[in-house]
Amino acid sequence: MATPAVEYRDVSYAYPARGDSGSPRPVLEHVTLTVNEGERLGVLGPNGGGKSTLLKLTLGLLRGASGEIRVFGLSPDRAVREGLVGYVPQRPDCELAFPISARQVVEMGPALALPAWKRLSADHRAAVERGLHVVGASSFADRPIGHLSGGQFQRVMIARALAASPRLLLLDEPTVGIDVSGQQQFADLLKRLHDELKLTVIVVSHDIRTVAAGCDRIACLSRTLHSHVAPEGLTPAVLAEVFRHDVAGIFGEVHVDAHAAAACKDPSHHHHPGGGH
Amino acid sequence: MRGLFWPGVVTGLAIAALCSLLSVLVVLKRLAFIGQGISHAAFGGVGIAAAAGLVVGAGLTPRLLGVEIGPQSAIGVTFGIVFLFCLASALLIGWLSERGQTEADTAIGIVLVGAMAVGAILLHSSQTGVSWETFLFGSIMGVEWIDAGIGWGVALVTLLTLWLFRRPLLFWAFDPAVARAMGVHERTMNFLLMTLLALATVTAMKLAGVVLATAMLVLPGAISLRLSVRSGVVIALAVAGALVGVIGGLVVSFEFDWPTGPSIVCVLALLFAGAKAAEAMRHRA
Repeated sequence: MATPAVEYRDVSYAYPARGDSGSPRPVLEHVTLTVNEGERLGVLGPNGGGKSTLLKLTLGLLRGASGEIRVFGLSPDRAVREGLVGYVPQRPDCELAFPISARQVVEMGPALALPAWKRLSADHRAAVERGLHVVGASSFADRPIGHLSGGQFQRVMIARALAASPRLLLLDEPTVGIDVSGQQQFADLLKRLHDELKLTVIVVSHDIRTVAAGCDRIACLSRTLHSHVAPEGLTPAVLAEVFRHDVAGIFGEVHVDAHAAAACKDPSHHHHPGGGH
Repeated sequence: MRGLFWPGVVTGLAIAALCSLLSVLVVLKRLAFIGQGISHAAFGGVGIAAAAGLVVGAGLTPRLLGVEIGPQSAIGVTFGIVFLFCLASALLIGWLSERGQTEADTAIGIVLVGAMAVGAILLHSSQTGVSWETFLFGSIMGVEWIDAGIGWGVALVTLLTLWLFRRPLLFWAFDPAVARAMGVHERTMNFLLMTLLALATVTAMKLAGVVLATAMLVLPGAISLRLSVRSGVVIALAVAGALVGVIGGLVVSFEFDWPTGPSIVCVLALLFAGAKAAEAMRHRA
């Protein structure tokens, strides 16, 4: 049997206690999940539910989790060093005053792994153009990075990750701040990544629209993994279980019964400051 | 032109070459204030060198802990001491602010005044026979060929280091979060940048003085980034701006017998005003 793209085996993680007060804050408990190569997995969950933490563990940015994480059979650090993983964070925090074009930003992807004395090869340049093309950024590739709209910038970030030719792409809240037509374009993009590049993609989001269209499978994460079922099998009951009263977070326009929310006294259901990041 | 002028010019060219590229990063990464901190810390380093007997006026023999040494060696050892003191100050600022207990600007403010105070006390109690103004505002009078040699050595090391680390350094400078995720070692990048800033400051200090050395690390980048958003153009303009500032400043300083550092800063400030005006006109057009 082929090595799965990502394997989480009984993964638990708690952020260490800060200062003298408080105890370690568990964000993930007993997560077991296998992502097959070529699969597009949507991880849906409320803010503070541990989605970003899961991605950071997958990148080797956080250590100290119990259980085991394997990325293409390797440790997360090793997989990142081998260039197998691409990552696009939530709300990229870039210096937009940098005097570089969108294409130069995308070139950073493959260039990072190159020794200083080596120039980008023709293959690298082709990967850069392919990345720009797949995300639909070719038309503004020569524009200064600071002159792009939010949606265009997001696509350039994805193109940069793609240009390094990873086998696994991790996207953290990719549609935050993008309008409905942008959401549809994003779903189309996920499909192209799948069809043209055969990429394994993990998308985490609190927004069901982001993961419902374009993913093969959805896992619901709120500290524990609630279920992972085909989109059509995702019932309101499962969603209610995952999000509890946090449904306001996903369906901002839907009226949420304030009494029901206030009735929930379980402190673990309240959003922790800085949680999930 | 008097022979005295040439070591100053050659040193100035080295300073322009080395500071212009760094200044673009300093402006983009908003490091101007930490640059101030590092350059003022140099005054503390000068104080230590003076207390050791290395800093003396013309006609006096420099000593290192009581032992007479040659004037050229004294300049070299002083450079090393001041550089190490600046680097230690930069790391101290980083350590204070990284632990989250002190805000970065507070940490810089404390280290800056602390180093200045140490420098002032040590200079006061050492019989150097050199005016304080020389260290504060720079002077072309004391610049020797050994300074030009050190300047070009530092410039070449800096440019080579920037070239070698350009990819991780630029990725990290542009997008630190993803750079970390892609395995770029943030502490290494920070240390590298602080080391280069300290080296550049100590070199620029010779002509511009500790108070004005940061002008060389801020203004060329600030000027060029007003005028273009294309990387090649920005770098070329930064180098050109630094060259015009240094050479123009030296000529002005020499012709009018003005202090060197302030003359260079005035020329650079004028260039910045021009760039700002050009930018404003382009936006209106």
